[in-house]
Amino acid sequence: MKRRLAGAVLAAALLLAGCSVGSNALPPEYVPGEEERLVVYTSHKEEVWWPIVKEFEERTGIWVDVVTGGSIELLQRIERESESPQADVMFGGGVESLEAYGPYFSPYVCAERDSIQEQFCSPEALWTPFSALPVVLVYNPKLVEPSWLTAWSDLLDQRFRGEIAFSDPEISGSSYTGLVTLTYALGGERDAALQAFAANLEGRQLESSGDVLTAVAGGSDWVGVTLEETVLKQIAAGQDLAMVYPADGTSLVPDGSALVKGAPHGDNAERFLDFTVSLDVQQMLAQQLYRRSVREDVAPGGELRPLEEIPLVDYDVSWASENRDSILMSWAFYLGGEETP
Amino acid sequence: MRKILSGSFRMRLADSAAGQAESNLSSVCHTLDNLYEGLLRAAEALEEDPLVSDALLGGQEENTRVYSSLFSVTEGLREYARFDLYDPAGTCRYSTQSGSAQPELPTDWGVLQKAGGERLRFVACEDVADAAEPQLQGAAVLTDGDGETAGFLVVSLYQSNLRRLLEGTYGSQNDLLLFSRFWRPVYCAQSALAESLGPELRRRVLAGESLDGAAEGFLYSVTYHPDMELYLVLQRPQVMNRETTGLLYTVSAGSALFCVGISVLMSLTLSRQMFQPIQRLRSAIGEVERNNLDVTVPDQRDDELGELARRFNGMLVALKHNQQELVENQRELNQAQIRMLQAQLNPHFLCNTLDTMKWISKINEVPQVALMSTNLADILRFCISPEEFVPLRREVAILERYIEIQRIRLSGAFSFAADIPLELEDCLVPKMILQPLVENAILHGLEGVENGVVRVTARRTADGLLRITVEDNGKGLPADMTGAYAHRNRELSRGHLGLYNVDTILRKYYGADCGLELAPGPGGRGAVITATLPLREEERTC
Repeated sequence: MKRRLAGAVLAAALLLAGCSVGSNALPPEYVPGEEERLVVYTSHKEEVWWPIVKEFEERTGIWVDVVTGGSIELLQRIERESESPQADVMFGGGVESLEAYGPYFSPYVCAERDSIQEQFCSPEALWTPFSALPVVLVYNPKLVEPSWLTAWSDLLDQRFRGEIAFSDPEISGSSYTGLVTLTYALGGERDAALQAFAANLEGRQLESSGDVLTAVAGGSDWVGVTLEETVLKQIAAGQDLAMVYPADGTSLVPDGSALVKGAPHGDNAERFLDFTVSLDVQQMLAQQLYRRSVREDVAPGGELRPLEEIPLVDYDVSWASENRDSILMSWAFYLGGEETP
Repeated sequence: MRKILSGSFRMRLADSAAGQAESNLSSVCHTLDNLYEGLLRAAEALEEDPLVSDALLGGQEENTRVYSSLFSVTEGLREYARFDLYDPAGTCRYSTQSGSAQPELPTDWGVLQKAGGERLRFVACEDVADAAEPQLQGAAVLTDGDGETAGFLVVSLYQSNLRRLLEGTYGSQNDLLLFSRFWRPVYCAQSALAESLGPELRRRVLAGESLDGAAEGFLYSVTYHPDMELYLVLQRPQVMNRETTGLLYTVSAGSALFCVGISVLMSLTLSRQMFQPIQRLRSAIGEVERNNLDVTVPDQRDDELGELARRFNGMLVALKHNQQELVENQRELNQAQIRMLQAQLNPHFLCNTLDTMKWISKINEVPQVALMSTNLADILRFCISPEEFVPLRREVAILERYIEIQRIRLSGAFSFAADIPLELEDCLVPKMILQPLVENAILHGLEGVENGVVRVTARRTADGLLRITVEDNGKGLPADMTGAYAHRNRELSRGHLGLYNVDTILRKYYGADCGLELAPGPGGRGAVITATLPLREEERTC
């Protein structure tokens, strides 16, 4: 009796063991090897990264694992993970931000470096530029006469008091670039410019850069500060908006990509960086994404004003990057209505 | 036990479900194979048609003839796909459906960039939820007779096409998801499912984890279709979902508990049956160990345990009996010892007194008293001497002391003679066996007889025994006393205690065959008492 029972138990155990072996584990050939992988942290919108990532996968056979988030958020994450990096590439983010997190990136000179306009290149090859993004002013043509808004100085006009859409420069990299560009364009005392602009905002700023266009198109604000590609995209989507390249000059800070220091899939990361500035991708972004290519051989798509015709200020990316904290601190004080930081 | 039960049950169900899933997947695979073959044939037919390549290269062909060619090669396939012909620059020229979705396709990007070689190369859609865009697009390069690129055939599979193609091939309760080579979602009959589940499945693939459990209560089977470069994922509801597993667990837990309860009850009963009698026996043995023999064990049962109890009880009775006997014996022994102790004082005192008397009588010149006390003292010393066996010579010497005393007492009314051969004088005999016999002869045989004679004779018999006879010529024996003295009990020997004692001594020492023999004397006068005993020489100790 006992022996029979023991036999039954043994048989059941064997069956169970057999079951666990034959469970629905994924066949190993379906799982890509480490050499076929790439981890990309991106702050780009899906409409930007997805076609590029998809095409990259199809062409190279490399599996791309995409982690999305805000640029500062992702850069902080890369900083946290610097002991054992998870990401291979930071794809997106203004180059000022990339510069600020320079210690966590490895310099890499991309394959087609010679085809890229010199003004967009990192001196130390710390990052690879992706697209040139002029800061522009936008207005709602139903509410604003074209003559009212032609330059940064117009933003200090009393008629726009409390009607300006400007997003928090601490959150939005493009907004920070806009703020610094404004101080360049206005000239004179930097703090005076900040204080005057803060006063005309009446201490109100929007949470994200996406809200700027919504606010202006919807009429809750009359004018706004944003990037060229954002406005073009909205106009293409049928929004009633008008764009102004400020006459007193704007900036052309590119966004870029960078190779994470100690990247687990460094070779694939380099291939990806090469791909982002390849002719195919740069053409695609010019024709379909309303962005300006950083390459010399790709003309701006559509009716975009050529770069040469856009008045520029002498924007110093390194300076803007190094003084980010102090400028933001001053800004926070002035926005709060205080006389001095 | 519960785990095993539900495990094996689950396994059976899972096995059959997995088998079903395999066959569903292979049926889907087969459908895709057929489609791919058809599309490839169409592409080949178009390539071989010079009309088509000429038209795409900008020749002045009649569009109707190109269309007729396109429609004839795509016969039977058009309900599953849309066919477009692009020129080498990526401009759509001919279409099987009105309204070209993509009038221009970049040749350096996406599906046209990938096209090339002998096959149709497929590219997944960008947005699985967008039913207006093709879910899957394949392209083949069409070459003219010189091997130059004449244009592209683009095959677009929309959600509705794929649904029509695949519906009914994978089981009504299952869901089928198509994924690209890189596990990007391509198609699902419910596009929302592909959108929601896609990232999780891809994460699991990248992590090398099992897909099961990506959604609660579903299992997944995967196969790869190399031509279409598609992963086919079949999602099927778990046969053993949470509720049925819970129910099974409850039922099996319940039955396990029931079994445990039953077995506890049974074992309790069994142990009560087996253990209680043994326990009682054990405690009874403990009582016996503590010398309490008044215990009994119940022995009503008919089995081995009852038998054991009965035997134990019997053993106890026997033990108790033995113990009582032992106690009785011990008591008797103690009394004898006490008597002996009491008697032991007397002989020394008597001896000393007799010696004193001897001296007093010598001083007072009463020679008879001196003689008597001397003899008596010798006899007494002999009696209390420690040895049990003495030479016959000494026995006779003590006998003579006794005779002297009796002569004085009875005024010499009898004569005594001892006939002991010299070689028998050293024979060992039990102490004091002659005196009682002679005393018996004098007191009983010669009472009132004149010229009485007592004769002691020792002889060696033919068979090597020592025979000692005591004869007298007195009144003779009562008739019932002749023969062997054996088997007389003590009560009957009243008045003849001497004979009884000697007989007992002989029997004890030499066995039942030795003993006294009583016979009338020659001529009917007097009596002859014969003692027969083994002949033993005194050990010579030098």
